[in-house]
Amino acid sequence: MTEATLPTPDRTLDTSGSLCPYPIVETARAMKDLLPGAVLCVVATDPGIATDMPMWCRATRNDHLGTFREGGSWKSWIRKRGRP
Amino acid sequence: MISGGLDSTLALALVKQQGFEVKAVNFYTGFCITETQRRKGGRQDGTFPQNEALRAAADLEVDIEYVDISDSGYLDLIVNPRYGYGSNANPCVDCRVFMMRKAREIMEREGAAFVFTGEVVGQRPKSQRRDTMRLIERESGLRGRLVRPLSAKLLEPSIPEQEGLLDRSRLLDINGRSRQRQIRLARELGIAEWPQPAGGCCYLTDESFSRKFFDVLDAQEAAGEPRRIRKEDIVLLSTGRHFRLSGSAKLVVGRTEVENVILESYGEGRARLMARDLNGPVGLVEGSPSWEDRQLAAGIVARYGKGRPQPRVAIEWLEDGVVEVLDVAPEPDETRIESLRI
Repeated sequence: MTEATLPTPDRTLDTSGSLCPYPIVETARAMKDLLPGAVLCVVATDPGIATDMPMWCRATRNDHLGTFREGGSWKSWIRKRGRP
Repeated sequence: MISGGLDSTLALALVKQQGFEVKAVNFYTGFCITETQRRKGGRQDGTFPQNEALRAAADLEVDIEYVDISDSGYLDLIVNPRYGYGSNANPCVDCRVFMMRKAREIMEREGAAFVFTGEVVGQRPKSQRRDTMRLIERESGLRGRLVRPLSAKLLEPSIPEQEGLLDRSRLLDINGRSRQRQIRLARELGIAEWPQPAGGCCYLTDESFSRKFFDVLDAQEAAGEPRRIRKEDIVLLSTGRHFRLSGSAKLVVGRTEVENVILESYGEGRARLMARDLNGPVGLVEGSPSWEDRQLAAGIVARYGKGRPQPRVAIEWLEDGVVEVLDVAPEPDETRIESLRI
């Protein structure tokens, strides 16, 4: 999936400035409030998110739709597991 | 409880193999060497360490929860450990009790049957002795509910084993420091990846870090202040070269561009030193430096910058929004510098 074909997120979580593992901690918290099938976009400045987010999604069985770098920040798209 | 090391990964695999729904819990203390390396952009050899707990949970398809314990309660514990320190600043028994208490809360919240860890009897001199493992279980309130799958057959049967929920015959009797059996078991279970070398990644077990840790506490005590470690101290203690200028002042000098950025962000309440017209490190001075301390700090900062061969270097001393320029000679005496190094 390319960035252009990604769905519009239901929520965007900006974790800029927080260091690993907090972007993942905040992501886990945010996902609890979303409905199954909803899409979360996580913005982070910690480069660790590029490796952490796909692994966290694999562990928690959420869909990692993609992580893309934009200059000094990263954006991760995640779809919450389960049917909408 | 999972660190992502070989033992906790194997424990996770063994319990999962018995058909349990497992939740992995990873505690963030702030003292993890790997996390610090990641924050600084990777290791010195250019590689970027992965989060091993996440990797293990992902490989075994187990839900994982991070628990941040790096707050005042934990910091008080490491300054005043009831069961003392190991060979460095590592209060392993107290730390384990603290984590197990948190794990017990999670167990109760989740309605889980037991907590398990990758601990192995006799593997660590302080926290993984049979007597301390019993003590940790008792003090955490997990009596009978704390399972160590790798060494279970060497320990009293836990409640889930007695109740037949957990099949004791499929648990192990690993003992001691050798990891041969774990490596064999990893191959059998198809676990292909685990961090090397083994042995934990906690700064509190590191000799150099511990010297700096105790220096902070001792300096506070000498100044008549209570001994305490703040969250920001953890970052500073793992950043830069540290020099004890005098009983009342300490200097931290960045070693890399990333460390300089980190030190700059901790300038509040401290003096920040930088060469005015030349490239060089950022220095931070903590405490109440005398005139001599200030000259010495500026000389050391000048020595680690591009101005080292020059007779004089202008060092900017920024404190409370006011910049003062100190014109100093780069400190020439390496023996003196080394004697100040913490």
